[in-house]
Amino acid sequence: MTATLEVTELRKQFAIGRPAIDGVSFSVPAGEIVVLLGPSGCGKTTTLRCVAGLEHPTGGEISISGKVVSSPERGVLVPPRSRDLGMVFQSYAVWPHMTVRQNVIYPLKHRNISRADANRKVEEALALVGLSEYADRPVVALSGGQMQRVALARSMVYRPQLLLLDEPLSNLDAKLRLRLRDDLRVILKQTGMTALYVTHDQAEAVVLGDRIGVMRNGKLLQMDSPDAIYNRPADLFVANFTGATNELAGTLVTCNGQYGVVDFGDGRQGEVALFHELAPDQKVRVALRPENIAIGRPNGVNTFSAKVLDRRYQGTQTAYGIELFGKRLEAIELGTAARHQVGVEAPVSLPRECLWAYRDSGPVSHE
Amino acid sequence: MFTGLWVAALLVILAFLVIYPVLMLLLGALTDTNPVVDGLSRSLSHLSVANFLTVLANPNVGEALLNTLIACGGGTAIAVAIGLFFSWIVVRTNTPFKGFIAAASILPLFAPPLVAGVAWAILGSPKTGLINTMFKWIGSDLRVDLYSMWGLVFVFGIYYAPYVYMFTASALRNMDPSLEEAAEISGASAFSTLFTVTFPLIMPAIVSGMLLSFIVMLGIYGIPAVLGAPTNLNVLTTYIFKLTNWSPPLYNTAAAVAIILMVVTGLLVYLQQRVLSGRSYTTVAGKAFRPRSLDLGPWRWFTFAIGMLYLLVVVVLPSLALIVAAFRKFMFIRDVASLFDMRQYSLVHFESIFDNPLTMRSIYNAVEVGVITAVVGGALAFAIGYTIHRTRVAGRGTIDLISTLPVAIPGLVVGVAYLWAWIGIPGGLYGTIWILALAFIARFMPDTVKALSTSFLQIHRELEEAAWVCGKGMLGTIRTIVLPLASPGVLAAMTLLFVLAIRELGSSLFLYTSNTMVMSVLLLDYYEGGNIGKTAAFSLVQTVLLGVLIGGANWLSRGAAQGNVARTG
Repeated sequence: MTATLEVTELRKQFAIGRPAIDGVSFSVPAGEIVVLLGPSGCGKTTTLRCVAGLEHPTGGEISISGKVVSSPERGVLVPPRSRDLGMVFQSYAVWPHMTVRQNVIYPLKHRNISRADANRKVEEALALVGLSEYADRPVVALSGGQMQRVALARSMVYRPQLLLLDEPLSNLDAKLRLRLRDDLRVILKQTGMTALYVTHDQAEAVVLGDRIGVMRNGKLLQMDSPDAIYNRPADLFVANFTGATNELAGTLVTCNGQYGVVDFGDGRQGEVALFHELAPDQKVRVALRPENIAIGRPNGVNTFSAKVLDRRYQGTQTAYGIELFGKRLEAIELGTAARHQVGVEAPVSLPRECLWAYRDSGPVSHE
Repeated sequence: MFTGLWVAALLVILAFLVIYPVLMLLLGALTDTNPVVDGLSRSLSHLSVANFLTVLANPNVGEALLNTLIACGGGTAIAVAIGLFFSWIVVRTNTPFKGFIAAASILPLFAPPLVAGVAWAILGSPKTGLINTMFKWIGSDLRVDLYSMWGLVFVFGIYYAPYVYMFTASALRNMDPSLEEAAEISGASAFSTLFTVTFPLIMPAIVSGMLLSFIVMLGIYGIPAVLGAPTNLNVLTTYIFKLTNWSPPLYNTAAAVAIILMVVTGLLVYLQQRVLSGRSYTTVAGKAFRPRSLDLGPWRWFTFAIGMLYLLVVVVLPSLALIVAAFRKFMFIRDVASLFDMRQYSLVHFESIFDNPLTMRSIYNAVEVGVITAVVGGALAFAIGYTIHRTRVAGRGTIDLISTLPVAIPGLVVGVAYLWAWIGIPGGLYGTIWILALAFIARFMPDTVKALSTSFLQIHRELEEAAWVCGKGMLGTIRTIVLPLASPGVLAAMTLLFVLAIRELGSSLFLYTSNTMVMSVLLLDYYEGGNIGKTAAFSLVQTVLLGVLIGGANWLSRGAAQGNVARTG
């Protein structure tokens, strides 16, 4: 029942401007949840809408369980209603002139399903999202979170081959978002549904996705497990987008397999991790997470002296601005005590496996 | 102290403009005395429901009421079909030249009903109509007869479709497109989506557009006067006018029938307000809606053709008919060859209407009434709007209520009411240009107050409060802050009032004398005089004049829109 999704060299060019999707390829094996993550305007929603058939791609191929549903080159374009998929919209899109039950039974009415069968499926779907008691309420009487649960029940009641979710949590308030996020993963895994999920929230992506694809400017930069995205980002943008917001510039001196030595200027050298082939004498940029900078704890090879510029106490953590190699870096230290004074010189240590070196290909703009 | 006087003054003015005439109308309906001959005191002593009941029992009244309901009901059905179809084409499909079709769909709003009626009489008269001449020429046996209930329903339907269109188009535009996409994903076809999701969702807009077009049709005099007269087909409005034109005029009966018309209108207005204030299906969405347009494929040329057909029917054909009739020496057209025979055309009808001193006088009078209405009505509406929306004085609720009342009073009923209010008072307003202007001010008060209020409701309250803090008084603040900022909107509202006043026919019918004849009434005179050439020529003159004025009003309100941008920040 649940199926694989195969997207090959997908392209979408609107009337004006650069392509919204520029050669995106990925696949979602049956039963897996893949999250497309990226800043707004990166093409993730357009990709999802192409898979749904709501947007018409200008190139590439999309197939669902082996059947091609969209291929402009071959003139194939299956309308959304024949693709057998479910979709949850950002704005819920529950029909306000119907009750909860009428909303959920709607897709079944357009399929050849007996009345008794349909009713049973509606009960099941409502039980799954925890709304059994609300079946006969008008949807406008529900809260935002409940409406989104109705939308979810409606999209799953007919057990489509593939479930598409377009930022389904972004209209909810913060607390509800966290709860529904965890529930969503449980429900999806319980039904074993193949799902494609679009969001700009990294935390959501990490919790929900079996794999995450990071997109930018219409291109898929990296598609990997959440762990790999966070620990081995493919490029500077992915590193920055997933939280490694500090950046140091330098020149590679030597490289030795997984690690190398970088000169940060004035002969100050440090060891860094290399994910790519890089040659000595190449200019590199090094990304680093604020929480991986340890202040006041000399440890290992990369220990330097830095100056504390400012301090922002945030309750469970403290954010510092420090000056290292003439550059300002952000550092975060967990704990409810702020330990370092502004103005002091302190040793900082940067673990080499947390310093990721990338080829310096000119200035990168971070959204 | 000052505020008390202010509220009292507004209430007195409103009572004078609205309450007194309506009470006199009621009095007229409940007596059998003649206000001119017998005077007011005698009328008061003859109060009884008997007259009203007699009128209700009169079969002619029943027939006129039935005709009215059939004509308006049929017209509304057509208007809903056309309005809904066009709003869908314009908002939801990829029909070519959508913008053009959108503009065409609201054009009929600007046509004065009498002019539209005259044009369709020229086109659709059973014997000499241009359409039948064409049918004869192509050898078809088809004949149309618009001098009938069908003709009335048809012309009502095509001219009042824009009221439905305006409501449904904006509802469609404000609807979250993912509601429809969800239906499509669920497996519904485009057709089934339209009927299970789209239309049910905009039902409140459809119903209120429907009620509004019905209400407007109820009060229209021009179209049924032209198309119904030849076959003696009466609706309430034409019947009321007939009653006052008999000799002796049956003012009491007219008042009673006017009350019936007012009650029906009032009920519908109440219903419409209920629908509008009821639950609207607007939904939350994080991002702005992307316009969703359905790819119709080759069918988009079909929808385009229907748009053009509508334009042809409501604008091109009537205009051509008027032009042909206005420039032709004799309206009898033997065949199509004679239609294109240039020797048949001349300016004789224009010369003839401008030879008539009444023509220039009527234009002058109309403009004078228009200016008085716009200036006095605009100022009054501003005072009322400001008092209702920006102050907390006691009594503003009553002011709001009374100033909104005329919404439920058709123009013709306003005319009869003012007739009753002033005809019995010698040396009073009756026979002056002012009675027309005051009737128009009362009639258009709700629209003007609404239009003006939006223009200053956009001015943030804090701008006024800042001026108060700086030491300006209330009036000084209005003069130095509110008026300058709201001036484009105020000007636009006044221009609209001016245009409405000079094309108004219904209320003028009962209030003019030979000295205060206005354009719209003179046009009816020409028509009833039987000279179709002069009628058409004068219709053209009026249409051009109105076109220029409406263009000017548009230009002014565009200035208002630009001003708004500066103010919302």
